[in-house]
Amino acid sequence: MIAPGPEVSPSRRPSKINVRVLRQDGPGTPPYWERHQVDYEPDMNVISVLQKIAAQATTFDGKKVSPVAWDCGCLEEVCGSCTMVINGRVRQSCSALVDRLLEDNPEEIQLQPMTKFPVVRDLMIDRSRLFHSLKRVQAWVPVDSYFDMGAGPRIPREDQEQNYPLSQCMSCGCCLEACPQFNKVEVIRHAGETDEAFDARKKQAYDAEFIGPHAISQAMLFNSHPVGKNLQKERLETLTGTGGIQACGNAQNCVAVCPKEIPLTTSIARAGRAATLHTIKKLFDR
Amino acid sequence: MANNRVLVVGGGLAGLSATMKLAELGVAVDLLSLTPVKRSHSVCAQGGINSVNDQTRQQGDNEWNHFDDTIYGGDFLQNQPPVKEMAYWAPKVIDLMDRLGVTFNRTPEGYIDRRRFGGTLYKRTAFAGATTGQQLLYALDEQVRRWEVEGLVKKYEFWDFLGPILDDNGRCVGAVAQDMVSMEIRSFAADAVVVATGGCGLIYGRSTMSVFCTGSAASRCFQAGAKYGNGEFIQVHPTAIPGADKLRLMSESARGEGGRVWVPRKPNDTRAPKQIPASERYFFLEERFPKYGNLVPRDIATREIFNICVNEGLSVDPTRMCVYLDLTHIPRHELDRKLGGILEIYEKFQGVDPREEPMKIFPAVHYSMGGLWVDYEANGEGGLLPGSPRNQSTNVPGLYAIGECDYQYHGANRLGANSLLSCIFSGLFVGPGIVNWMKSNKAAADLPKSIFERAVGEHTARHKKLLSNASGTGENPYLLHQELGDIMTRTATVVRYNNQLTEAYEKVSAMVERSQRCSLADTGNWTNQNVIFTKSLQDMIPIAQCILKGALMRDESRGAHFKPDFCMPSLQATDPTERRLEAEKWCDAFEENTSKFLKSSVCSWKGQEPDLVFEDIDTRLMKPRPRLYGLVGGEVIEEVWKQRSRSKEESAPSKPAATKQLAGSV
Amino acid sequence: MNVPTPSAPSQSGSLAGFLKKHDFIIRRLHSLSGLVPVGAYMCVHLLTNSSLNGGPAVFQNAVFAIHSIPFLPVVEWTFIFLPILFHAIVGVWIARSGQSNLRNYRFTSNKRYWAQRMTGYIAFAFIFTHVLHLHGWFHWDWWLGFVEPLGMAQFRPYNAASSLAEAMKSLGFVWPLFYLVGVLACVFHLANGIWTAGITWGVWVSPSAQKRASLACSVFGVLLGLAGLSSLAAVSRTDPATAKAIEDQMYKVRVDGHMIQPNEHKRSDGHHTGSSDPTHNGTVSANDPK
Repeated sequence: MIAPGPEVSPSRRPSKINVRVLRQDGPGTPPYWERHQVDYEPDMNVISVLQKIAAQATTFDGKKVSPVAWDCGCLEEVCGSCTMVINGRVRQSCSALVDRLLEDNPEEIQLQPMTKFPVVRDLMIDRSRLFHSLKRVQAWVPVDSYFDMGAGPRIPREDQEQNYPLSQCMSCGCCLEACPQFNKVEVIRHAGETDEAFDARKKQAYDAEFIGPHAISQAMLFNSHPVGKNLQKERLETLTGTGGIQACGNAQNCVAVCPKEIPLTTSIARAGRAATLHTIKKLFDR
Repeated sequence: MANNRVLVVGGGLAGLSATMKLAELGVAVDLLSLTPVKRSHSVCAQGGINSVNDQTRQQGDNEWNHFDDTIYGGDFLQNQPPVKEMAYWAPKVIDLMDRLGVTFNRTPEGYIDRRRFGGTLYKRTAFAGATTGQQLLYALDEQVRRWEVEGLVKKYEFWDFLGPILDDNGRCVGAVAQDMVSMEIRSFAADAVVVATGGCGLIYGRSTMSVFCTGSAASRCFQAGAKYGNGEFIQVHPTAIPGADKLRLMSESARGEGGRVWVPRKPNDTRAPKQIPASERYFFLEERFPKYGNLVPRDIATREIFNICVNEGLSVDPTRMCVYLDLTHIPRHELDRKLGGILEIYEKFQGVDPREEPMKIFPAVHYSMGGLWVDYEANGEGGLLPGSPRNQSTNVPGLYAIGECDYQYHGANRLGANSLLSCIFSGLFVGPGIVNWMKSNKAAADLPKSIFERAVGEHTARHKKLLSNASGTGENPYLLHQELGDIMTRTATVVRYNNQLTEAYEKVSAMVERSQRCSLADTGNWTNQNVIFTKSLQDMIPIAQCILKGALMRDESRGAHFKPDFCMPSLQATDPTERRLEAEKWCDAFEENTSKFLKSSVCSWKGQEPDLVFEDIDTRLMKPRPRLYGLVGGEVIEEVWKQRSRSKEESAPSKPAATKQLAGSV
Repeated sequence: MNVPTPSAPSQSGSLAGFLKKHDFIIRRLHSLSGLVPVGAYMCVHLLTNSSLNGGPAVFQNAVFAIHSIPFLPVVEWTFIFLPILFHAIVGVWIARSGQSNLRNYRFTSNKRYWAQRMTGYIAFAFIFTHVLHLHGWFHWDWWLGFVEPLGMAQFRPYNAASSLAEAMKSLGFVWPLFYLVGVLACVFHLANGIWTAGITWGVWVSPSAQKRASLACSVFGVLLGLAGLSSLAAVSRTDPATAKAIEDQMYKVRVDGHMIQPNEHKRSDGHHTGSSDPTHNGTVSANDPK
């Protein structure tokens, strides 16, 4: 009753879709390709394909297998969960429409987990490093308290229009996957290692590596907030420290793959300028 | 608060605001979530957040009006003190979010810009483009991350809440949860558990909700003894984009910014929408509800759209039901600035530019007004007593519920842009009460280990039993879910009939047992989504039963709950005297119905099915009055009703004093 | 650290640890050195070379000017060779810190990212060989005695055009092709490098500014490339014998006019491997196997 089935498009459609999934049973086990086949329906996206695969739990040649694991949430491209590599390109699987994919490659759809993050299982990956980067740049407004202190500072419309796009970053990780300078860091847990020791080791490994375009952009977002600015120096110290902005190689893939079209390279250039001034200032203020 | 800990379950707006407030009060918090908290369903909220503001104030608005609109829009089905408190806090909530750096749209002078939303005549709604929920959530997520770095908050993401742990006196002293990666089941000792797990849209199969909005966490509390209130009140949003996997929301802000809903006057008109001249367009909301136009409350807009397609046969598309939501008369740059986010969604998923062509939309299940029953303690003014441990507390001591998963704020129908407010408000407000609760109780960490071990043992047994169901012989959980969704969508959405509800209730009740027989395609113990999903499916069923039972027992129409067999008719007579007489009768019937059904339906779990009782509603601040949006003869009814109210007041002059007496003793 | 990736961080106080710690400053110096002095020098160098289009005399004049700089080897090493080496070695380290993914992401700027690294490697090999081929790197006699017979260290500043033309002809089309590829790679690397440096330092920030800068850098690259190509063309047109006659005449005039000190080391005729006699001014060149 509510929201009836989607419209049937008149053009020629296949009856079946071939899907190849790069599966992996767990961390440290070898990945393997598996072929699936699902019935075609109009207006499908990769999520509905994966839902069918989960319900079938059978490969194209009839072998019973465990359902493919993957991560998804809102299905409307605002939560950032369902990032994966589809036909070689990183993107959100909810907005990857099957009809478009078949136009590019009618033979099959190829699904892979992101390559820059450790695989948890199948298409699920561990993106804790991405969130850790947000801690590194202290991506927050350091307010005094949550008591009622009246409104915040007045903000010119122009500033809002500059900051709103940056604030739409949903931590999906597309920019990191496509960045040739962002390399995978996988910390394997030792047998018998405590949570705390493992977390500390992960943190250390993450801290030594590139922070990534998303975090640079968030640093710029908060550096341009009237109160967020109070941590400006600390953020620039991070950006000019180990794994900071210097690791950027200006391939500009980040901005090209960002599903939210966030002006990441503008943020990077702004951060570059700020870092230049910060370093010169530090040199003469010493 | 040295060794006190609180467990917050759910990391949406409510959970995060509670976490952040508790951390500020010095309480250590374990924050448990199915998904990284930044990905919680609150990101999907688009339109905005309501509060009285300097501008509306000067147009005659005040907090009371916001309170009134919320109660009237919700058809009086709310206990009034919490709603009043929320309305009075609203400006402060927005101020706080503003300070946290939310990128609210600005006026040229730099003030927060406002738009108008449904069910009100004032521009109360602050917004950040068309992704307000996302922006609010991120601001809270950032603050919680700050506390995480400070060491006061520990996040457990990709953890599934399996149920509260009660001690021998029935007090909640923690919870059992499962790591969705390693499948480890462990207990969390906590001096209070705050459930902030949102809605239950997945019970309907496809809805506007995220895939993790199964309602299973609320259900697990319900099955552990917490009461569930007003389950039958499910908001069906008037405007959504139909899709195979999900019904994507098209925010009310599209209408708030001037979007117009219409269909061609001629049935099966095959012309392209732009070819149809204005005179042949039927702007049915504007014609039928001249005062509110396209911004009538959601339940009404939904029914009208449903009606125009189903009963009047005016759907714009012969193959599927939908109506036009038209923005094409608004300048492009204006649309991009204020609605960019949602228009992109439409464009991305439908492949059509809504700036050029009207969108095709249809109602979809969107929000659950009902939820876990929660208590409150009123103050002398009829608001809430700050710091009372009773506020937001379920009937299980130590177990709190906030946000969409409580039943408290929206009555029979939620007004647009009030949900973000209720989530943040309840999250902030619950903190001090919990601190006071903990002061008077023994720390959970000091309780005997056996309580926790027993609970872990029970859940481990359930988990193992499910894994051991022989594969291939039992029910397929995904297909069973589809079946449940179909039944619920068919019988318990816009229009409800008792015979259908009875049948549905029987079928769903049979699923309690069927779902136990689910066999899994994955019996492993590493990131087994199959078993997690099956467990949540099993737990959807009790809530589905609450919804159906409530709908069945409530023989009236109120807000989102609409039964054609039990609805207040329009006035038929044309002769003024007769019309007047009819209106008198209408008012009699209304009063009778109010005394019978202006009550919360409250369910408790009895092992196989819920037991339902009707509970009185606290209407201490405002007496119920007929909700007459667009009803034929509404003006006569209103006149009669006003006269009656006046004469009642005259015959009971001591009424204000009586209200005062009532205050403070709920 | 149990990090099974090539980029595994090492905190163990090693060279890699040092580089990581001072990553920012090292990379900014790398960027700077690419512009000044290396990039700036390259412009001067290619423009000087293109003066050969005006004939051997014009070119010889330019070379005389350069060789009038006092303590030339010190200047060469401080302002040219060491910066180039720094830029090249750090550059290789940087290039190795990333992994190109051009196959899946065929965007223009990603191609440029890849090309910057490829041309960097080419430039590294080219410059190293080019300096050996013509300059020889070091001018110790024992060293020259070793490399000259291999066809290296062939340039004679006081017989600039003729020695250059001879050197280029020695292996048929091999050297001209080598220089063609090398020069173009260097030019691309510089032009694109200016563009990326502008982003790195925050000179051009907005996408439109970056687009304008990209255009300007392209024009610069084309012009500089033309200068390089014209020099190569001019070398191939130069007849060594004619040129040498002019150069010898110019040398004589300058020596006679006390404008330069006689220095047979910088001449084809006077150059003799193993000769340690600075006053030697004989006619060995006649017997020179060249």
